[in-house]
Amino acid sequence: MFQPLDPLLHSELRLAVMSLLVSSEEAEFSYIKEQTGATAGNLSVQIDKLSTAGYIEVEKTFKGKMPCTICRITPVGLKAFEDYVKTLKSYLKVHKK
Amino acid sequence: MEENSNMTAERSLEIITKQIEQSRRAVSKTTGQSLYVSGICIMCTAVLVPIINMITMSQGMIGLGHLLWFALPVVIWLLSRKYIKDREHTPVSLVSSMIAKTWITFGYFGIGFFVIAIIWGIIAPRLLTLSEYATSQIRVAPVIVLLMGMAITITGHILRQRWLVVFGIVAGLLCFAWEHFHVGEAIVMNLVSVESPVALTAAVINSSLPCLTIFIFALVGLLLPGMMLKKQSV
Repeated sequence: MFQPLDPLLHSELRLAVMSLLVSSEEAEFSYIKEQTGATAGNLSVQIDKLSTAGYIEVEKTFKGKMPCTICRITPVGLKAFEDYVKTLKSYLKVHKK
Repeated sequence: MEENSNMTAERSLEIITKQIEQSRRAVSKTTGQSLYVSGICIMCTAVLVPIINMITMSQGMIGLGHLLWFALPVVIWLLSRKYIKDREHTPVSLVSSMIAKTWITFGYFGIGFFVIAIIWGIIAPRLLTLSEYATSQIRVAPVIVLLMGMAITITGHILRQRWLVVFGIVAGLLCFAWEHFHVGEAIVMNLVSVESPVALTAAVINSSLPCLTIFIFALVGLLLPGMMLKKQSV
């Protein structure tokens, strides 16, 4: 019996954001936008969803006079990502057989 | 990238792999640039110090060039800010922060030890006899190369580069022994007699030998890994 994939992570952009944050301590909004190639509006909505779920924390700060949004993955987010990858692996194993 | 929830397992895996790899490359690039800039700065200082020492020695000021080492952290910081443009946006990863902390720790200990040695070098001759001072003199170079060897070894472990680990251990210990037992000075003194007119030049060479060691360390421990990381991330 397959475990269902976390619907919050099973989206291209949200998964890309989480994958970026997994390998770094924190990342700026502009960096995530650049790496994912998403539009600012769409990315903002997806980050909001991840933040509401407690998967990431968002800190709004300033860099000089420019506003700067920093995103960090939370322990809850890390656990959800690990579970998502585990489930994904089980899907792929069956698929290979 | 769109908001698409109908992905296959393969596509999910592809996104995860691509983003992690992209992030790793960006981090490797800035880490490589930092190591590269630091390596060049240290190598330039190691060349400038003997030149300044040679120029100022004729005016009776011995070892004045070594004061340049104190300016080194500031120069590295300023150049990194100016030339590493991507740094502002690149996230801090575990690898980059571990490498940065390793070298910052080396900086604390290196500069701290240098300051202690200089203060002792000023105070000790006034408090001790010449023979007592000769035995209690603090020599900076052996400890600095040992610390540098450690920092290179740790960097090698973090970057998973075995050659760098081996280089750090072998070069650190060999150069420590070389500096501690005055091997270079013994060679120079055997080649040049004390009465000869080139004795002053020999003294300058002696005081510059640690700079050669530091130059080689900066080349292999900082510049080459920096170039390697930059190349890997292209």
